[in-house]
This record gives sequence, C-alpha cells and structure tokens, in this order.
Amino acid sequence: MKSLRALLCVCIAATGATLLAQGQPATASASAADVPSGPAIDISGYWTPTMNEDGMERGPGSELHDYGGFPLNEAGRLWALSYDPSRVTLRHHQCDAYVTPYQMRATGNFRAWEERDPHNQRLVAIHWWAQVTEGHRVIWMDGRPHPPAWAPHTFRGFSTGKYVGNALVVTTTHLKQGWLRRNGTPESDQATVTEFFVRHGDHLTNTTVVSDPVFLTEPMVRSNDYYRAPVDHGTWLYACDDSEQIVGRAPDVVPHYDFGKQPYAREYSERHKLPLGVAWTGAPSMYPGYADTVKNMTDAQWVALLSPTPGRPNETSKAVDPEPRDGEIHVLPIRENVYMLVGDGGNIVVQTGDQGAFVVDSGTGRLSEKVIAAIAKLSERPIQFIANTSFLPDRTGGNANLGAAGMDPSLPGSFFVNSAPRAVTGLFADPLRHATIIAHNNVTNRMQDAKAADDAVPGDTYLEERRRKSHNGDSIELFYEPSAVTDGDSIVFFRRADVIVAGNIVDLTRYPIIDAKNGGSVDGEIKALNDILNRTNYEHEGEGGTYVVPGHGFLADEHEVVEYRDMVVIVRDRVKAMIAAGATLAQVKAARLTADYDTRYGANTGPWTTDMFVEAVYNSLKPAPKTN
Amino acid sequence: MKLVGAGAATAVVTTLTLATLSAQGRGGAPPNAPPPTARTAALFDITGYWVSLVTEDWRYRQFTPATGDYVAVPVNPQGKKVADSWDPAKDEAAGEQCKAYGAAGLMRMPTRLHITWQDDNTLKLETDAGTQTRTFPFGKTSGGAGTLQGTSLASWDQPRAIFASPIPNRGGPQVRGGSLKVVTTNMKPGYLRKNGVPYSVNAVMTEYFDRLDVPGGESLLVVTTEIVDPEYLTTPYWTSPHFKRVEANGWHPTTCTAR
Repeated sequence: MKSLRALLCVCIAATGATLLAQGQPATASASAADVPSGPAIDISGYWTPTMNEDGMERGPGSELHDYGGFPLNEAGRLWALSYDPSRVTLRHHQCDAYVTPYQMRATGNFRAWEERDPHNQRLVAIHWWAQVTEGHRVIWMDGRPHPPAWAPHTFRGFSTGKYVGNALVVTTTHLKQGWLRRNGTPESDQATVTEFFVRHGDHLTNTTVVSDPVFLTEPMVRSNDYYRAPVDHGTWLYACDDSEQIVGRAPDVVPHYDFGKQPYAREYSERHKLPLGVAWTGAPSMYPGYADTVKNMTDAQWVALLSPTPGRPNETSKAVDPEPRDGEIHVLPIRENVYMLVGDGGNIVVQTGDQGAFVVDSGTGRLSEKVIAAIAKLSERPIQFIANTSFLPDRTGGNANLGAAGMDPSLPGSFFVNSAPRAVTGLFADPLRHATIIAHNNVTNRMQDAKAADDAVPGDTYLEERRRKSHNGDSIELFYEPSAVTDGDSIVFFRRADVIVAGNIVDLTRYPIIDAKNGGSVDGEIKALNDILNRTNYEHEGEGGTYVVPGHGFLADEHEVVEYRDMVVIVRDRVKAMIAAGATLAQVKAARLTADYDTRYGANTGPWTTDMFVEAVYNSLKPAPKTN
Repeated sequence: MKLVGAGAATAVVTTLTLATLSAQGRGGAPPNAPPPTARTAALFDITGYWVSLVTEDWRYRQFTPATGDYVAVPVNPQGKKVADSWDPAKDEAAGEQCKAYGAAGLMRMPTRLHITWQDDNTLKLETDAGTQTRTFPFGKTSGGAGTLQGTSLASWDQPRAIFASPIPNRGGPQVRGGSLKVVTTNMKPGYLRKNGVPYSVNAVMTEYFDRLDVPGGESLLVVTTEIVDPEYLTTPYWTSPHFKRVEANGWHPTTCTAR
C-alpha cells in the first residue's frame, strides 16, 4: 500500500511539476530557436554528490545557529534565531520539500535526462531528479519566458537554461520560501537563483548564486560537486504523509523563540570555543580577515545581535509587486474552469460553465470594463453570481459594474417569482438585469452603513457558518470567518476544482489587515488561516494540491498559507508577551517585533503600514479597561 | 539489389575516409606563423584580483578547528594518526608554520588572489594569505619540486570527445570557452586543513579554474579540485572553492600562521 502510494506520488510529481511551473507550452517558434546558446553539454546520467564540503550540514545535519558564511541581513538573522526546529512537527510543514539551492546540496543521488522534441530533436528541457524529496526540476531549454509575477511558486521554482561557453547556465525564479540551511537559515519566496553546471569528465560542478532581497545583503555563492555513477542508484522514491506528531497541541501554536530568548544561542560557540555571535554577522563572515575583525567584540555586542537593532526605522518590503499596473486585466487559469484575474487592485476569481459565471470579488472597480470583457472571453454566459469575501473596497469596488453586466436567470420566471422579481425577492438589484451578489450578512450591513449604492450591496446573504451552492458542476461553499480581517469575511471553496478564495485573509503583499473598527481581530485572523489549512491538501511533498487565491499576490497553495499563518502567530505571541510584561503600545512598536518579516511584508507608507498592523494586534490583544 | 547496396556502402566509406583525410589537412596555423602562446590561446581572462567567498566549510576555514576535527575529509587511519598528533608549536619551532599554505590547502584559505601572466606561457597566482606564489606553466612543468607549491603543469581544457567524429562537420560545434586545468605534483607535505589534516608528497592535485560571469552581476572564479593521496586519503578529496572578482584595494599580505 505504501509503495502504491509512493508510486502515485511520483506520477503526480512528474505531472505536477509541469503544471506547477506554469510554463507555456513548448513551441518551436522562431524566437525559441533564436535563443543565443552555445552547443549542448551533456549532463545526462546518474550523479552522486560528494560531501567533502559542508559534510556535517549536508549529512547528519547542520548545527543550530551556525549561519557563518551566509550574507544574512538583519531580517534573515532574526528569522533564523527565532526558528525552532520543532516547527517541522506542525502538520503542514512535515512534508516541506527542499528549495532548489538547498536541494542541490542535499544528500541523496540525482538523475538527469534530456527531453527532446520527437519531430525535430531540438532540446526542450533537461530534467533533474533528486532522490531526497523526489525533487523533480525541469530546466526549460526552449526559450520560453518565465511566468508572470502572479503565477504560483514551487519548491523547485521555474528554471530556464542556456549554454554559455562550457557551462549550462540556469536561471530560476518563482521559488517558495524554504531553507538555505537545514537549521532554519531562511530563503524567501522572492529569491532568484543563477546556476552554472560545468562538467569536467565525470566530475560535475554546480555553482549556485542565490539573490534574495528579503534575507540577504549580497548574493550567496556555493558550489556542489557530483561524480558520475555508471549504475542506476535506484530508490528514487521518497514518500511523505503528514500525521499527528504532538497530540493535543492547540492549532494556533507555532514553535518559535521570541527575540532575545533563544535558549540555545551559546551552544554552537561554546562547543567550538568561538565568540558567541561569530556566525551571525552576515556578509563580513564570508571574507578574509574575519577572525581578526571579530576578536575584540564583547559578549554584550554579541548578545545584542539576538534582538532587532533598536531605534531603527522599520524595513519595508523588498518583494516584487505582483500587481501588473499596466491598465490591463491578466487571466491566469487555475484549474478546470476556474481562473484568477489580476490587475484591478485585487485578485478576482471566475468560475465558468454551462450556467452563468460565478465571480468571487470584483476588484476596485477601476478596470471593471476590462474585467467584464475578460470574463466574457472565458464564459459564454453572463455573470450570474458575485460572492464577496469581505466588504472592503478592493473586494467590492466592482460589484455594481460587474453586477450590471450580469443577470441571474434562476429567479425570473421561477415558481416563486413571476413578476417584479426585485420586489418579491428583496434583492437590491433586479435579477433580470443584475447578477446576484452573495456575502455574509455583515458585509451588507457594513456597506449599507457606508451608504453604498444599492446595486453594489449583496442582497443574498447568510448568517452562520456556511452557505453552499452547486453551480457549473462544482460544489461551492462559503465559510464564514468571524472577526478576521473584518466581521464579515468569507472564504469561498470550489470543492471539485480544489480552489479556495481567501480574500484579504491571505494577502501576500503585506501584513494582514486587521480592521478592528469593523470587527477584525488577530485571533480571528489566525483562526481563519487555520480554517483554510484545515481544508487544503498538498499534491506532493507539501506543495500543489489545493490552490489558494490570496486577496493580493501570487496564486498560492497551502505552503504560502502556512508560512503566513506562522508569521501572524509569531508576531501575535511576541506582542502578547510584551503586553503581559506591561509594555505600552509605544514600547511594543519600538521593539520592532516584526523585524524578521518587514523585508517581506512591511510598509511605512500607504494604506496599511507595519505600525498599523502592530497597533491592531496590540489593540486586539490588550484587555479592555475595566468599567464600573 | 544487395550488390548495389554494398557498392553504395563502399562508396560512402571511401568518401568519408577521403573526407576525413582531407579534413585533417585543413586548418591549423598558417605556414611559418609562430605557434600561439598560452596567453593568446587563453579561453578566458583569468587575470586580476579575486577574493575568496568562504561560504562552505566556514568554521574550518575562518577559524582553526580543534585537533582531530577532520569531518568530511576522507582521511585514512594513517592520515588520522598524523592529524591527531598535530602540534602547531612544533611546526613553529621547525619553521614550518606555512604547512597549511601549500598548494593543496592554499586555495581554501580565506585569501585574495592576484593572477597575472608572468610570461606568455606562464600564469602566476599570488595569495595575500601567507604571501604565497604559485606558477602555472603551459607545455612544461614548473620548477619547485619539493616545495610547498610543488610542480604544476597548466593547459586550456575544453569539453571534447576522445576521438574526432568520423563524419566531417557532423561531430557537433566546438564549445566556446573552457577551463584552465592545472595538475600539481611533488608538493612538500602539508595540511588540507589548518589543524594538521595531512597530505603527502605523493599527493596529486588536479584543478579546473572556471570563470563564471553571473548575468548582470559578478564574475566568479570556481576552482574544481581533486586531490588524490594514496598515503593519507581513502578516496579522492573534492572541493570547489570560489572567488569573486574585485579591485586591487584590499590586498593585504600576511605571514603564515600555524594556529
């Protein structure tokens, strides 16, 4: 049974790698043929890594808090020091695969083979299979472009290659968050990698250059050596199923250490008789003369590295802006008849079929005409339903326009409504001339309080846990997430397509909005994220499977949600600890409790800043003052 | 039909043979032209200043590890015995504080490199760590037998098959670029790691220097290295230290230290 499951995993992996990579179909176009590239160098065959460098790290495992030789910035250092290896006991982390820069250094064997067009024998791709984690990389050699910024990220990323001189040069983007080292040294989902494969007889050297604006101050260069094996290594499978590892643990527990509270901080330095923080200084540790530069550092100076540098302004996000901002609407097919539309200030989802289109969220409304045109290309039928995941303007701004472009033929002429359907149904817009807008009842209340136009306000509402519809051959469920971003949030689950629309509960471009004035809370946000995770499944080694459409940012799967959940929990716990110690809001802000996440999610300007997030967390945790 | 087929095959073979012979007569240097020097035949520009990026085996390279810490080096029992008896004071007393700066250990030191053409057929590689100099002559071995840096023989190396294709113009295009290959022997015994992990006089080191230009970024020099030492190692010892191209400033010659 296990082997059958493992075999299934491999088949899925092989199929999924292509789907996940979101590559365009291979074509023998002129542009592909014009890709400047030298003659092919064969790297096919079986390869075994030598572990003569970093053997301890790559074999038995790296030591805690050894980040020496990594050009980590402050965020990277603090992220690593906050990391508790117990985090991999969490269900959604147990099967995390390795990201490419680490995979290439992992123990286990590798196999490479070419994929050629059967008709013209042009090289389409080089496949690289890692024994550990069944890591299947596809290096596209046919000149196809990298996917857009809103396409999914994978542990292997999206790779293209060309031959330069005696090297195969590979560029990889769209990586997931993962490790540069197995002790929690982080690599962000904004990292890009350049690799050079150079072969000297039966010795292959792979040099990886990782650029990560979120966690590194300069590129991280490492080289991996492999020797060619004449015989198939076999044992290419590496099945992983998650399970309960710690029974009874609360769902909002994420193992981590608060800043300055790392209990094992001295373990590495004491074992090797080195100064305390000698492995935490980032780029300087890579260069000659380092031992001399640190010999006069005091213990207090080292201890200071365990916490954010005080008095500095918050860092801001270094992530690529996934919004195209070109005045156009871009369509990303997700799965089956479900699509993500990007461009109108917030992700929109469209499901099509022989009934009318089912739309989730309507964007800001600035590009509604183009949204409607894009939907018309996808669906022969008009928009029938619009579901809103909250009342916020980037979710509902296009309601009136998209609604007016649609109609709900399920009402006019029905047994219940044979005339004046608006009056009979109580909907705010005439279903003959308007799509039906569905949301939690609090969305309607908030919009009416804000004097929104009638035809923008959801008229079909629900009150408690769930609203369900069977539409276009899928079972669609809206689940109420009370008190998350607001008090009217829903997630929308397309069960057959296996797609969850998360709205602003997952916002990969910034910290989650906690709109306390409108009923949001940090604990509700965490519960909502966990509710999403309770409904997701991965396809292979912690990725793929259920797609999650965030309110903003690239198309995600459960890995992005779990990293986001971890972040919110960790920040909440730090704020909670300071509140328990009697800290004021000003003290909490000054402590820079988000310093390890600011280069990914932070903002000091705009509608939702880091300070606003911290303040919202603080206010939603601080006990209300006692009243007489 | 068979006869026709056999005849055709013979014709093809004959044509191919003639074509091959004809091809062998073409190309090469024009008559009376001086043979190209190693400098003019260089596959890439290796000269300039380079600084090591100590991102692997960091603790072993930036700090001197404890005696007996030879993790990941394939030392045999005899090698372990030597490593376990490492005594830096003894090296200092014997004036041998440079034993970790011999050719087989030098390139993994945190160091800057300065690479120049000593003459048209010899590259010179200097390090500021330990102020060492290696020379890489092309076509003949360098002097230096029995010294820390040993005897080196350099060549430009390109991926190619052992035999040329028997069919003219069907062997595939020649790869542009390639590596600097350096084979070093006759080294005075030294240390692979500063804590006395040994290599012997019988060690043979083969290095491939590859310059890798990151698109839109830095130039890297990766030195893929194999050390074979029947005296102290159980298997070849493979490493690939890498360097980043830098300006001259920062060159900081130091003396060898044994500790």
